[in-house]
Amino acid sequence: MKLVGKYINKDGSGHVSLRPEDDEDMWHLYNLIQEGDKVRATAIRRVQNVSSTGSTDSHRVRTNLTLEVTRVEFTPAITSSTADTTNAASTTAADVTASIQISGRVTVENPHAKMGAHHTLDIEVNRDVRIEKEQWDSVALNRVEEACVPGRGAEVAAVVCGEGTAAFVLLSEHLTTIRHRLTSSIPRKSSSSTLHEKGLNRYYQQLYAAFLRHIPYGSPTIKVLVFASPGWIRDSVYDYILKESERTGNKALMRAVREKGVRIHVSSPHVHSLVEVLKSPEITAQLKETKFAKEGITLDRFFKMLGSDEMRAWYGPDHVALAIDRGAVGTLLISDQLFRASDPAERKKYVGLVEAVKDKGGEVVIFSSMHESGQQLNQLTGIAAILTFPLDVEVVEQEEREAKEAEEEERRKAEVAGEDS
Amino acid sequence: MAGLNLNDDETEGPVVDEEPPKVTMAREKLLEEARKAIEASEKGKRGVSLIVIGHVDAGKSTLMGRLLYELGRIDEKRRVANERGSNKVGKGSFSWAWELDGTQEERERGITMDIAQQSLSTPHRQITILDAPGHKDFIPNMISGASQADCALLVVDASTGEFEAGFERGGQTREHLLLVRSLGVSQVVVAVNKLDMVQWEQSRYDEILGQMQPFLLQSGFQQSKTSFVPVGAMSGVNLVNREGPDATALSRWYTGPTLVDLLDVLEPPSRNITAPLRFPISNVFKGQSAAYAVQGRVCGGIVQVGERLRILPGDESALVKYIEHEEENVEWAADGSNVTLYLTGVDPVHLNVGSVLCSPSDLIPLATVFTARVLVFDVSVPVTAGASVELFHQAHDVPASMSKLLATLDRATGAVIRKNPRVLTKGASAEVQITLRSSAYSGPNARPRPIPLETFAANKEMGRVLIRREGETIAAGVVLEIVS
Repeated sequence: MKLVGKYINKDGSGHVSLRPEDDEDMWHLYNLIQEGDKVRATAIRRVQNVSSTGSTDSHRVRTNLTLEVTRVEFTPAITSSTADTTNAASTTAADVTASIQISGRVTVENPHAKMGAHHTLDIEVNRDVRIEKEQWDSVALNRVEEACVPGRGAEVAAVVCGEGTAAFVLLSEHLTTIRHRLTSSIPRKSSSSTLHEKGLNRYYQQLYAAFLRHIPYGSPTIKVLVFASPGWIRDSVYDYILKESERTGNKALMRAVREKGVRIHVSSPHVHSLVEVLKSPEITAQLKETKFAKEGITLDRFFKMLGSDEMRAWYGPDHVALAIDRGAVGTLLISDQLFRASDPAERKKYVGLVEAVKDKGGEVVIFSSMHESGQQLNQLTGIAAILTFPLDVEVVEQEEREAKEAEEEERRKAEVAGEDS
Repeated sequence: MAGLNLNDDETEGPVVDEEPPKVTMAREKLLEEARKAIEASEKGKRGVSLIVIGHVDAGKSTLMGRLLYELGRIDEKRRVANERGSNKVGKGSFSWAWELDGTQEERERGITMDIAQQSLSTPHRQITILDAPGHKDFIPNMISGASQADCALLVVDASTGEFEAGFERGGQTREHLLLVRSLGVSQVVVAVNKLDMVQWEQSRYDEILGQMQPFLLQSGFQQSKTSFVPVGAMSGVNLVNREGPDATALSRWYTGPTLVDLLDVLEPPSRNITAPLRFPISNVFKGQSAAYAVQGRVCGGIVQVGERLRILPGDESALVKYIEHEEENVEWAADGSNVTLYLTGVDPVHLNVGSVLCSPSDLIPLATVFTARVLVFDVSVPVTAGASVELFHQAHDVPASMSKLLATLDRATGAVIRKNPRVLTKGASAEVQITLRSSAYSGPNARPRPIPLETFAANKEMGRVLIRREGETIAAGVVLEIVS
């Protein structure tokens, strides 16, 4: 993303102009734009004219519109899939990018759109978007900064395979895109071993074809090509791809697989086992700096803590807020989903928590809910914390209750005293 | 896409013209006949299915290969071919296992990767053998086999250090036993194998018994339903008899039954033939002629040739052309039998492993959210709400999450100890809500695909689930209620 302009007043209101460049930037915009913001971008609007004779004609004009946002929607890049009998070549083109739609009412009138008219903006790549907020909080500003770092992020391409299934996945800083899913039914060996072998061979062929189409193996941003599976399928797949690339003389593929290919054992053929991939030493060594690796490691630390010392791993907004109050939080895990709350007060609350932790020298990791680790955090209410010292939830809740009761007691006393005097 | 030509689909043309096989009997008459046949078999040979389990390299496949040979199911010619083949690749010790490990990769690696199905007969039993893989990566395959079994044969390796490796935490001896128990298997025969590696010492056999017995009891196997037998699979000692020079060392101290004697008294569970038909598919392949073959086990009810069956999930139905049981064509198959159905009038894309066939009038419910009562195993990391897990149900293996922890229960009485617990620790019994996860993160196909599922009260076999996480079985349970 390119930062085109930024003007923020001392009171936190102001506007930022951005130029999105890829899918990842769309995700950033989706997380930045909130209900109630004013967004200005180019739009195509259908204008209807009624002539003096009563006939109507309509035409489309390209114009700049400013909307007050009522709804934002994010559509991720589309996943195609190959079932067994359909032809791998006939599936939809893979180059469908992510997009966002912003609905709202026009706030600045122009000749084509009246004040208050409804419109839905399709945000496009390489077209400037101006976002005006009444309050730019620290989380939003950090995101703008993060989004505009040039040359950011390594990408990882992964093929997660199981017997007869494969998922082709691209991981970037904030997004997990499942490019393609392949299912091919392989007769099990109890039917007949020749049928089994035939089915296996067909599976490899389909996988190779899909790999060529869906994995941009030649792209320089791809740092690692992961082949993950339980059992030994990854080895067979790896060997098959090398063999086929040699047979067909595809030197680029051969080089890419040799140089970047990593085979990693995971325990299940589902996409969510990517978490295991990101935890594996082979990957963490290469991608330590990237966001998704960090998310994976932090979440893993949280779960381990939950196992070893339950009192130092808390989750749920209320509990975490209590822990922050007591200055106990060493690492705060929070999902970006919470900041997308439509209620500004809600968002403010979470921003407050993040700032409180940072002020006390704690670490804050904001998870992207387009990654598996973020999805898991979302399942866990979206917020969790690793504490620096053990605290018992029940004791703390008890303390809170007592404090509240004591407060009420005080007040009642004060009231009684007031009446007396 | 050259390879796709291999996929020679001939389903479109010839199927249409063929006359559908007639339903031979009315349902009442069929039930009557089935009941009679089952009663008759009470006196003759009774059918029972047996899953062979144990730690990797305990010798499960070898034991089965040898047993099949001893019982005359493998002829001399096959044996010699296997022996020659395995010697040729320098894996002579796998020669017996080759009979069951049929695929090239299994033979190369010397490891079973998928269930092998065989049948054998003892004087009083007709036994369907399911040889499970022992390696932990293939537990999904083992589960799909175990959900088709009535009894289990556990093979343990008696050689020094090997028994311990399989039995300690993370070993498959332990995990397999817990898995089969949670899938409803209550009878187990423990074959203590490779005693020849420790010179047939009685002390070693007793030591293993001493460790196994408390664990079996604790896992819920009644003492009267467990039995132990020392064997030497490779040399065929104490499988059918204790003759020959290899067996003398054992005969000195062991006078109990042989393996076959024990298998011959396995008690088949009662069959419920009046229940609605459920047939979970565990394998699909193209059979001879235009029919597609599906393998599996009848879990309740009865199926006959000529019946039209609904395939769930989905809107398709198919016609049963013929039924194969123990390599013979039969007119019908009842609850508990492992059969191959040959189906016509259906596009094979609708036949998936994990789908359930049932009669069109009595459909199995489909579920994406359900509650279950689970028992948490010996887990290293406690289970939190929202934990992402893999759900195993029959041959299904789908991503899911523990969406809500409803309550922890007292293991003995079932009384609620605590509502909405924060975590479930090991050994806990709890009520949880499980939600299937969609395969996409968001967007149009974000809704998960439902799976066919029934409450435990309605159908025991279709109501059992297993929950695994990162290659570790964390809980087993029964379905209480289907929410949606």
